Amino acid sequence: MTPLVRAAIILLYPRTELMPGADDCDLDAFLERFRREASPIVWIGIVAGALLFHLSPVFTVGVPLPAFALSPEKADLHADRIANSSIYLVRQSIFLVKFAAGMAWGAHPRVRERFAMAPLPPDPGTWRTS
Amino acid sequence: MSVATRPGRHIPFRGKDERELDAEVDFVVVGSGAGGATAAVTLARSGASVAIVEAGAWRDPEDYPHSAYGGMRDLMEDWSTQVARGRALWPVVQARTMGGTTVVNSAICVRTPDDIFAQWETEHGVRDLKQRVLAAEDRVEREITVEEVPPASRGRSNILAKRGGDLLGWSDSHYMRRYTSGCEGAGQCLQGCTKRRKQSMNLNYIPETRARGGLIVSSAPVDRVMSDGPRAVGVTGRFVHPTTRAEGTRFRIHARKAVVVAASVTHSPLLLLRSGVRSPALGKFFRSHPGTGVFGCYDDPIDMNVGATQGWASIAFRQDPGLKLETLAIPPELVASRFSGGGTLLMSRLAEFRHVAMWCLAVRAETVGTISPSLFGHRPVVHYDMVPADMERARKGVKLLAQQHFAAGAKEIIPGIVGMPFKLTKDEIGVLDDAPLDPRCYVAILSHLFGGCVMGNDPRTSVVDSRGRVHGWERLIVADASVIPTNLGVNPQHTIMGLAATFAADLVGG
Repeated sequence: MTPLVRAAIILLYPRTELMPGADDCDLDAFLERFRREASPIVWIGIVAGALLFHLSPVFTVGVPLPAFALSPEKADLHADRIANSSIYLVRQSIFLVKFAAGMAWGAHPRVRERFAMAPLPPDPGTWRTS
Repeated sequence: MSVATRPGRHIPFRGKDERELDAEVDFVVVGSGAGGATAAVTLARSGASVAIVEAGAWRDPEDYPHSAYGGMRDLMEDWSTQVARGRALWPVVQARTMGGTTVVNSAICVRTPDDIFAQWETEHGVRDLKQRVLAAEDRVEREITVEEVPPASRGRSNILAKRGGDLLGWSDSHYMRRYTSGCEGAGQCLQGCTKRRKQSMNLNYIPETRARGGLIVSSAPVDRVMSDGPRAVGVTGRFVHPTTRAEGTRFRIHARKAVVVAASVTHSPLLLLRSGVRSPALGKFFRSHPGTGVFGCYDDPIDMNVGATQGWASIAFRQDPGLKLETLAIPPELVASRFSGGGTLLMSRLAEFRHVAMWCLAVRAETVGTISPSLFGHRPVVHYDMVPADMERARKGVKLLAQQHFAAGAKEIIPGIVGMPFKLTKDEIGVLDDAPLDPRCYVAILSHLFGGCVMGNDPRTSVVDSRGRVHGWERLIVADASVIPTNLGVNPQHTIMGLAATFAADLVGG
């Protein structure tokens, strides 16, 4: 399921002239880490959101193809429309994917550099053991 | 029973293959946030032996994460995935770490307003608290230091908010007073202050409790309060690993004098329920300050993450319509999902990140919810459905923030309401008067939680009395925000600490 999640994230956060996209932000490593560390229910929610993203273009752009098979223009239009869906649960499902992906995108040194922010040190992941 | 501990000790996670923890102290305090830590240090100063039992791990500033991802993983309960059930699914924000939510909040210090004590007395029969709680709040301020946000640490977002509020003539537009000492404006409050400037409980009252001979047990969620009839005699539970969530060995901590429950608004009611407390008010009267934000877009860079995460506030609208307004800087990780849309349009919006400032409203909501156990009993389920009057307040707050942004020089605002344009100019904000009142159209969170074990003099409508004692029980005290029977309309940490110190002092005759 990870490739589907990855494809949805790249369409939601594409590379543009102004900004690095999710694909420029070590996305594979992030997803591997996220899948390993997050609780199963969180990961299941993100997979469900990604599936919804890929299966819904017929409702947003009228094309009966999965999102990953759309033309770049249609995929971009679909990404915006599905994220702004008038159906709350659909919107929330896509929000979950955006939220997780935003963690990778927003913390990446390339994005932070674009915003004149210093790179973040690694999270220690430590605690008192004595 | 063996006493397997010695004074002044921290016991972290113990695996299943390690020996069980069995200890005895005078007082066991469940939870280490504002309520638990304050109660514990008050008890320890009286010479009593005290154990603090915390569900999360003990992380020092060197251990704090730097990213929002790390913050959710290491410091927050269930990755911040708990949401209130209602028409809208709004996150319920609570930490799970030594020091509790004081580690991840903005350390905002506001004294309990006078009208709150009057309301507690008239509506709940809670008397004789005002002088002692306010005296305790005074003491806390002196002990852990409180300062106004230093000028060099304010950052442009906070300065602009002050300017906007002043220009609009708001009666209360001020830089915040916070539990900080020499704030450097690192903008990292939400992930824990690695600069050690924020005076969270893990840096003061918990180490002091330990230094006074206390036993600190971390990664140890309590299953239930042990009892001998209607008398609390200790707590028991099982360690949980901080990262893998694997179960460890059991612990039992016996209390010679009392058990103080300060496990949070969502967990304290469930812990009492699992422990056999039967009160018709248990889990009822849950309240909060639901909040949402409005972005202002400025010509010059704002760089809202430079400076105090939260540095300006106003309670000018606390009574009418019932709002608190304040700044809140969030990092790019969170703005990425906070802005609506997807694809290249979203990226063009995010490209403006340096030029936006987010200011927030917190509704002094009249909505009342409940807290109940999940199907298998250990996870709290919050039911909360905003009433229309509260949504009206939120809508008014959005417009107030929009006006404040424009007074401060914004060229556009981003209201963040589904069904409204992504941006509005100054001439367009009249449309906010007709913004939808459906909570599903807002991206919001529930912060500042209250109730679930509310205090009062009637056991039919309250769980504890005005000294925090559980009705019908002996030696069982609740000392966190769950006892607060009303909304405060201000940040609650100071009130929680004042109440906890007062309840604990009562236990030791102080």
